[in-house]
Amino acid sequence: MVDIEDLKERFLNLEFDTQELRIDPEKSVTVARVTGEVLPEFTDPGHEDFQTPPAMLASLAAGRHLPIDFPRLGGIPMDGGKAVTIVRPVKPGTHLTGRTHLHDIYAKQGRSGRMVFIVSRMEIFDADGDQVAINDSRMVVRERPDA
Amino acid sequence: MSIESIADVEFGAELPAFECDTALSQTSQFADAVGWGRGGRFTDHDKARKEGLPGALVPGIMGMGFLTTMIHRWAPAARVEHVDTVFRAPMLADDPAHISAVVTDIDEEEGVAELDLTIKNDADETRVFGTARIRLPT
Repeated sequence: MVDIEDLKERFLNLEFDTQELRIDPEKSVTVARVTGEVLPEFTDPGHEDFQTPPAMLASLAAGRHLPIDFPRLGGIPMDGGKAVTIVRPVKPGTHLTGRTHLHDIYAKQGRSGRMVFIVSRMEIFDADGDQVAINDSRMVVRERPDA
Repeated sequence: MSIESIADVEFGAELPAFECDTALSQTSQFADAVGWGRGGRFTDHDKARKEGLPGALVPGIMGMGFLTTMIHRWAPAARVEHVDTVFRAPMLADDPAHISAVVTDIDEEEGVAELDLTIKNDADETRVFGTARIRLPT
């Protein structure tokens, strides 16, 4: 089995990916509309406080989740969940930068073996370098006994 | 009751739910908008079954979208500061999804409330659960 403490020591808090991002206003509205959103701040690009819904922000975390030299854990990775912290409203169409690091690695014992949870965190900054949001993606890997 | 400030929020209150549209046409639009439309996992039942799935899925973050929408419908002045969703099991496109939320903590001075969130299927099985922290005028 993989040594979780060793993984944490080697990989936590080291930035491994940077992306230049721009949220398409029309797509942001689509995400709001198909999830039933009614507030014009999310559905009307002409609104003075037009902003990105949390689910659209969460989708930005779908890039590379692991450092290139992260070891294979043997099982099939699954999307265990997502969290979004909105520091300030994000206006679609503006320039953003997403910087990603591994925020946490932990294991839980399940009925069918050990599950390893890897939390990849993207911190999102605006063009002025101010932080606007934090995305956490939880990847779950059910370890194979021989891994 | 219209929720306009933190004083209107009651501990233990259940938010009014709305009917989530999980139709394949909706999951397809969502998946296309976030760049996950290729491959058919969220857009085509047959292609999803060929991947070994029971059918096309509702993207997990679309569930997050339904839950934050429920908060905005309940309290239009609320701003979601943090939402955390755990994808416990897949939601299927074209299957009903039942959302719920309950107020679990209130800080009147700060104007902050905490909510527990859940999405279940018709069999009352939890598909997604999580929490949200919202801020309201004091």
